[in-house]
Amino acid sequence: MKSKNHPLLGIHSLLMMIFIYIPIIIIIVYSFNSSRLAADWSGFTFDWYLSLFENSYVMEALTNTLIVAVVSTVVSTLLGTMSALAMRKTTKKIKAGMGGLLYLPIIIPDIIMGLSLLMLFSQFHIPLGRLTIIIAHITFSISYVHVVVSTRLTGMKDGLEEAAQDLGAGAWQTFRFVTMPQILPGIISGAIIAFTMSLDDFMVSFFVSGPNSTTLPIYIYGQVKRGISPEINALCTILIIVSVTLILLAQFILNKGKGQKKQSVLPF
Amino acid sequence: MRKSNLSLLPVFLWLFLFLLLPMLMVVGISFMDRDELGNVVYHFNLDSYATFFDPLYLGIYWDTIVLSVLTTAICLLLSYPLAYYIANASPRMQTWGLVMITIPFWINFLIRTYAWVLLLRTQGVVNSLLINWGLIQEPLQMLYTKGAVLLGMVYTFVPFMVLPIYVALEQMDKKLLEAASDLGATPWRSFWHITLPQTKSGIMTGAVLVYVSTTGMFVVTDILGGAKSAMISNIIQSQFLGARNWPFGSALSVIFVITSLIMIALFNRAMTSRHLKVKEGR
Amino acid sequence: MKWAGLLLAVMMVVGLLSGCGGSSKETLNIYSWADNFDMDVIKDFEKQYNVKVKYDVFANNEDLLAKIKAGGNGYDLIQPSDYMVEMMIKQDLLAPLDMNNIPNFENIADVYKNPTFDPGNKYSIVYMSGVTGIAYNKKYVKDEIDSWEDLWNPAYKGKVILLDDNREVIGMALKKAGHSNSSKDEGEITAAVNDLKTLLPSVLAFDTDNIKQKMIQEEGWIATVWSGDASFIAKDNPDIGFVIPKEGSTIFADNYAIPKNANHKELAEKFINFMLEPEVSAKNYESIGYSDPNTKSAPFHSAEYNADKMINLTDEEMSRTEWLSDIGSQVSLYDRFWTELKSGRE
Repeated sequence: MKSKNHPLLGIHSLLMMIFIYIPIIIIIVYSFNSSRLAADWSGFTFDWYLSLFENSYVMEALTNTLIVAVVSTVVSTLLGTMSALAMRKTTKKIKAGMGGLLYLPIIIPDIIMGLSLLMLFSQFHIPLGRLTIIIAHITFSISYVHVVVSTRLTGMKDGLEEAAQDLGAGAWQTFRFVTMPQILPGIISGAIIAFTMSLDDFMVSFFVSGPNSTTLPIYIYGQVKRGISPEINALCTILIIVSVTLILLAQFILNKGKGQKKQSVLPF
Repeated sequence: MRKSNLSLLPVFLWLFLFLLLPMLMVVGISFMDRDELGNVVYHFNLDSYATFFDPLYLGIYWDTIVLSVLTTAICLLLSYPLAYYIANASPRMQTWGLVMITIPFWINFLIRTYAWVLLLRTQGVVNSLLINWGLIQEPLQMLYTKGAVLLGMVYTFVPFMVLPIYVALEQMDKKLLEAASDLGATPWRSFWHITLPQTKSGIMTGAVLVYVSTTGMFVVTDILGGAKSAMISNIIQSQFLGARNWPFGSALSVIFVITSLIMIALFNRAMTSRHLKVKEGR
Repeated sequence: MKWAGLLLAVMMVVGLLSGCGGSSKETLNIYSWADNFDMDVIKDFEKQYNVKVKYDVFANNEDLLAKIKAGGNGYDLIQPSDYMVEMMIKQDLLAPLDMNNIPNFENIADVYKNPTFDPGNKYSIVYMSGVTGIAYNKKYVKDEIDSWEDLWNPAYKGKVILLDDNREVIGMALKKAGHSNSSKDEGEITAAVNDLKTLLPSVLAFDTDNIKQKMIQEEGWIATVWSGDASFIAKDNPDIGFVIPKEGSTIFADNYAIPKNANHKELAEKFINFMLEPEVSAKNYESIGYSDPNTKSAPFHSAEYNADKMINLTDEEMSRTEWLSDIGSQVSLYDRFWTELKSGRE
């Protein structure tokens, strides 16, 4: 069934991987550099890793970032998928209007989004903190999920769902066993983008954050004036290693369960 | 039909509350005036919109569009083969490929961009290697050029292109390709007439995401371009910050959002009409 | 489709890893630049007063202003720069300081007292100060450097770095022509900008934050640099020289100030007073490496710190400096010219 990949394609993909990973290797290497400003290579050290764990501000920022990213990804994935599904069956007018509306959060300059949300929150006396950051992140993430899931839906064959319903499947069953498996790659890709956007957002978070809700990007941008500490490189290195390990582990566990079911369609 | 409208409601309400409502304030401010301290004064006028048509700002917007289109095109050329490779790999490799492509982008954007500085500067890794290998005598000035900006933009937005194209490719009906090759079509012909049209929605989504994100980006021009060129987002940002001109910043944003929406719609239309032609031709 | 599960699992674990705790102690919420204090000093303060210090960060003055103006609150102590203090006073965003709680204010050197941006120190106290000068690498720059004019020397073409800040750069060109760095005269400003346009082809980059790395790595040969940063650079690259040009220059400072709606004003004042203790002060500035405005702390500083000419500027050098002051509605003109300079368009 699978069409073979041309060797040239393989070489291209390998080169792309190198392109994507070169800066990451540099980040890892410089996390062991003893120079504070990362200007020169001035000797090998583990100090940044040690001081990182004593730096409660970085740890708190990391915690805030992860909480915000996880919560906003889950909620926006739900909402974005819902809207993409609903948009298929609605009238042309609503489609055009909502379509435009859903592009807005992607287009609007970050500073506008941050400042205008801050004005909104302060008008309604909503205390600034993790919650307001989560709300803001959900707002822009919905769009990314919606757009990617819609891409998947465009290519989906309508016949399958009808067939399932003709065979007596209920609405939920049709969704759960026909639609959902079909669009899952879209949902996951959308969630990946949402998660990545949330982890990296500085401008919007900056304005809607309050005391005690500094996220990692806010912390890192704040450090720029004095020079970003190699502690951050150390942190990035740890994050990469943890992510890769977790994924390896999960892959290993899932592979074990293989055999009974030919393909696990759903993760839960 | 009613039911689907109902399930659109939560998203609509959310966006109404946290997007439209605040945006209305911005639109309002764009018609206002400001005082010496930068406070918004409630005096209706269109000056901010008139200022945009100053050749200075029009020129900067044009530069931004050119750079964004270029970034989008390069991202597409680089990403399509990669997405294709991943979509055609074994399911296990697909997992790997996608995750491995995404993980680097969980590292903070500033840190990633500074890593490029370490690579490209005159005493950086690339120049040292080239000199060591005897390929060059004097270090090349790679940083603080337009090329460095383009590289940084492409690097930043590549995953936005790979993911949607993968999503479309993975879903393609591969039997069509087999049928085509059975009928004697060359691989190139089948790609052009079957694969490409079927993955149009992926290309479309990827292109929009990359284009729009590039127009909104300015940190890359500052760090890799030596802050020697201005993007429209630099201007918008500085109106709200240093220049204390919220009305002009708001007006620029309104214009920016509207022109972006128009460009997306035009692009959308161009893609769909081509699609129709292909169908008719068959 | 397994990777769906993998990814979700990763996200879940990552989410679970993050917990949080609270405390009932009185809390001082500082809003400043990152790494702006020696962390041990802050810990000492927490211990001595049995309070908790929370520390959030901003990346530049304009971000700070926009945030406070649009309703961001909850902060007890902020650290705006000189011209931003003036701006915030005008906008009625700061609370007057109660000097009864800050007896150590008398330790501040006279040069830093009663600054033009806050006459009588009603709202602010200088925390960290410096002067903009020229840093140059003696390996490449053989001529004697003593004037802003030297940046225009064609020998340094493509190796000049300027601060990425319109007030600093246009102010420098104004000083070069013998005017005030905060001139509001359109003719003077236009002439200064035209002069800068002739410098543009020589400019490698505009940069404020990473100018240190660029000079250490010898990407640039000559640059407009803050004195404290020059000291940083010289430590990593001994070929670096620094001079305050003869035409005079801009002095700047980050300050302590308290926002109008602060919840713990008195604690913030206690903190300022604590930071002005001579020993605390010495420990703090030794760690952050900028000029210490405290007159009584010199005995507690290391010999190396006291000998650093870029940190301890002479009275003669200080006499040639001028604070930036608010330029009112001319801000539009500065901004437009700055956009022209940066975009190379007109």
